[in-house]
Amino acid sequence: MYSNKWIGSLYITPFVIGFLLFTAFPFIASFVLSLTDARLQDQLGAANFVGLSNYTEMAADSTFRQSLGVTFAYVFITVPLKLAFALFIAVVLNFKLKGIGLFRTAFYLPSILGGSVAIAVVWRFVFAGDGLLNQALAGIGIGGVNWLGEPTTAMFSIVLLRLWQFGSAMVVFLAGLKAIPEDLYEAADLDGASRLKQFFMITLPLLTPVLFFNFIMQIVQAFQEFNGPYIITAGGPLKSSYLLPLMIYEEAFKYFNLGYSSALSWVLFIIIAVFTAVAFWSQKHWVFYAQDRDDKGGH
Amino acid sequence: MSVDSVRLTDVRKTFNGHEVIKGVSLEVKKGELVVFVGPSGCGKSTLLRLIAGLETPTSGQIDIAGRDVTYAHPSKRGVAMVFQSYALYPHMTVFDNIAFALKIQGLPKAEIEHKVNAAAETLQLTHLLKRRPKALSGGQRQRVAIGRAIVREPDVFLFDEPLSNLDAALRGQMRVEIARLHTKLNATSVYVTHDQVEAMTLADKIVVLNAGRIEQVGSPLDLYRKPANLFVAGFIGSPRMNTIKARVREVSPDAVGLDLPQTLLSVPRVGAQVAAGANVTFGVRPENLQLAAADEEAHLSGYVILIERLGGETFAYVTLKDSEGEPLIMKLDGEAALYNHQEVRLKIDLNRAHLFAEDGQAIGVSPDFSDKTDESVHV
Amino acid sequence: MASSLNPADHGWRKHLPVINAFVRYGLLILVGFLMIYPLLWMIGGAFKNNAEIFSSVGFIPKSPTTDGFINGWKTSTEYTFATYLLNTMKIVVPKVIVTVISSVIVAYGFARFAIPGRKWLFALLMATVLLPKSVLLIPQYLMFREFGWLDTYLPLYAPQAFATEGFFVFMIIQFMRSLPLDMEEAAVMDGCNSFQVLTLIVCPVILPAIISVALFQFMWSMNDFLQPLIYLSSVEKYPVALALKMSIDVTEATSWNEILAMSTIALAPSLILFFLAQKYFVEGVTSGAVKG
Repeated sequence: MYSNKWIGSLYITPFVIGFLLFTAFPFIASFVLSLTDARLQDQLGAANFVGLSNYTEMAADSTFRQSLGVTFAYVFITVPLKLAFALFIAVVLNFKLKGIGLFRTAFYLPSILGGSVAIAVVWRFVFAGDGLLNQALAGIGIGGVNWLGEPTTAMFSIVLLRLWQFGSAMVVFLAGLKAIPEDLYEAADLDGASRLKQFFMITLPLLTPVLFFNFIMQIVQAFQEFNGPYIITAGGPLKSSYLLPLMIYEEAFKYFNLGYSSALSWVLFIIIAVFTAVAFWSQKHWVFYAQDRDDKGGH
Repeated sequence: MSVDSVRLTDVRKTFNGHEVIKGVSLEVKKGELVVFVGPSGCGKSTLLRLIAGLETPTSGQIDIAGRDVTYAHPSKRGVAMVFQSYALYPHMTVFDNIAFALKIQGLPKAEIEHKVNAAAETLQLTHLLKRRPKALSGGQRQRVAIGRAIVREPDVFLFDEPLSNLDAALRGQMRVEIARLHTKLNATSVYVTHDQVEAMTLADKIVVLNAGRIEQVGSPLDLYRKPANLFVAGFIGSPRMNTIKARVREVSPDAVGLDLPQTLLSVPRVGAQVAAGANVTFGVRPENLQLAAADEEAHLSGYVILIERLGGETFAYVTLKDSEGEPLIMKLDGEAALYNHQEVRLKIDLNRAHLFAEDGQAIGVSPDFSDKTDESVHV
Repeated sequence: MASSLNPADHGWRKHLPVINAFVRYGLLILVGFLMIYPLLWMIGGAFKNNAEIFSSVGFIPKSPTTDGFINGWKTSTEYTFATYLLNTMKIVVPKVIVTVISSVIVAYGFARFAIPGRKWLFALLMATVLLPKSVLLIPQYLMFREFGWLDTYLPLYAPQAFATEGFFVFMIIQFMRSLPLDMEEAAVMDGCNSFQVLTLIVCPVILPAIISVALFQFMWSMNDFLQPLIYLSSVEKYPVALALKMSIDVTEATSWNEILAMSTIALAPSLILFFLAQKYFVEGVTSGAVKG
């Protein structure tokens, strides 16, 4: 019965329908829309085909260039920092000590709650003029910083919110660390390798599959960040935290430019696709899967 | 005409263009315990799964109790299976595990309870019925797995290496238990194992499989005494049979004369069909080699290279003089006086010797065994 | 460890494990404190009066008051916060249920059946995990507008009834693949059809994975903001996320304690679930990355 392909197909029918209706169709429709001047308030029939002009318009759109720059800055700052921090804390946590579970919980919690509006609201208050951070800084004699009012510091506040959610990446690293056999370290000890050498020669190579997974997930998520920046800074000031997802949302649902917004979303899609494709293509050069451990032993 | 309990007719199975069962025909009589043995990858488990209905043959026919079940659902074949890992349902109690099939059949509750209790009684599981599999020992889990099978009163029991997950001591004990249960229920059983001791002790009939084909079918002693070919000769018996390359010098009606590197031998044979000058393999089991006393005539001589003392018996490895072949293994008494590098002279019990043609098929049989015709079937 | 042969080393090396533990604990406590402090400050702030929130970095209120909760609960709208909590549940509960059911069924198909083109379908499934949702947003909106589903909860969970969350399907597939097959084969021999195998054997055995999926979907749906923002227009249908956003727009300048109190309440279900079931979160988040 397990080889009965028709029964099997029946089980995945929901996915096939859902994929066609809610993913494939909208995905293509969004590209078609990006070639039109469709507006939210009009019937779709009223839209005109405009070719690639939405895309050429972007090149001249200073808001888009600003948004693109901010998005790249945000991703390039948060992803490496978050991964490095998550790995660092995971290594510190990967130690047989009492209360480790408690710390793991504490570090993991923010990444579960961090995407919520409630946390974004709290973040606003932390960085507000008379908020928690300024009060704390005043305590050590530093004058009030207008965190959300200055372009650099506004960006800093949303970057920090993302870093605060390093827990899920850390938990994945921790599980990866625990999967490395103890005897490898014992053998390295006998070979006289220092702790630091052991980290770079054993831990890091064996952790690359997990690192790869975390990297992909973090890149994909960072490019799609919406809640935090929308609520905390609303993209401001001076569009300094105006990430592409914010712009896509506002173009569509504030300015009603469905065509232009669709084009923007396709640009975002292509950027993410390129990043994931490069990551998958490059993994054979740096990701070290246990199955071919013998083949790569000579490195 | 009695109906066979299980009949396979030219069954073949192909996985991804790779034929793993290459035309197997076989009959299992009612009440018989048939054991499939063979090296890993020989197709014995696949064959069992084909009978169970967990796989469907690419061609051929499977009949159970006189009914063609080739494409029937596993539960509609009158078979029950005991899995290697027991495959107990972890979230159910022992009672529910045993009762599961009956519940699926929709039997009335009272009847289910009666049958489960009877099965539990037979297997001494009554006091464990409320436990979960997690809380049972390996032997107890094994018994639950058997209970799950017997409660269905199948025409045929299927066992897939049921003892391989147990430690050595428990394995011996469960083996006896399965043998007793088989006698008691007098149920037809097909049993897969890679362990030839299990095969020899449990089987009414052994089926030796190799690379998807049946090499030989017969009673355990038949296979031991009259292996049909080199493969069976090597597979049945531990330590394995010694073999020496030889050439046929002369053939007489009741013996075959052989040229061995060291000596000339006359091997008593019944029904040998071989011509002088043929290359053959001479086979002798370790227990049929003896040390020759100083004044005795010997067949071979060589040096002891390794001695394994198991207490009750001793295995000695002997390399023949002027020979680069595999060392011969001898099975001696536990107290046999022997030391390493000792020069020894060997005597062969020629009435228990074996002879194989170049293609591996046996040449005749020893006169000692020729009259003992069990129902050995040569395929 | 060749250097430990040198006797001079022994003095401090003997204390190395203690120093090591000390440094680790110190670091962990510091980081943990910084991690948790915003949450503590939120909860503490909910019980402070507004003046105190603006003037003290401590999180323990000096003169605790429940004014924030009482006034916040009333909200600045004609509905109480209870309405918004209830609305959230009206979205989240069906969403979790349909996600679990559809993901389990589809995962079973992928994990256990030789389906024509399975490799390609699986690749598509994984692609949906990586596909940015914003590229689907506008056509989906237009589609649901055509369906007449605007200002209803249907757009928020109808797609999930079709296993559209590839991550969850993948999680369950991974879990099913790690199970030995013969348990299911035994069930087949016991007379189950494949759907009975799924419901009677597979589901109970993969319950931990199912719980993980349910919990993650619960948390993510509680946090979801953009979807309700687009689809819901009547205040009476707002979930907590929208209500909170609305209240900061209205009352932020004046009543921080009300907003902190409502934030605390908004996070309470997630917080409680997290502490009750954190092992399922850890299992869930790692199952895809490490086993795979």
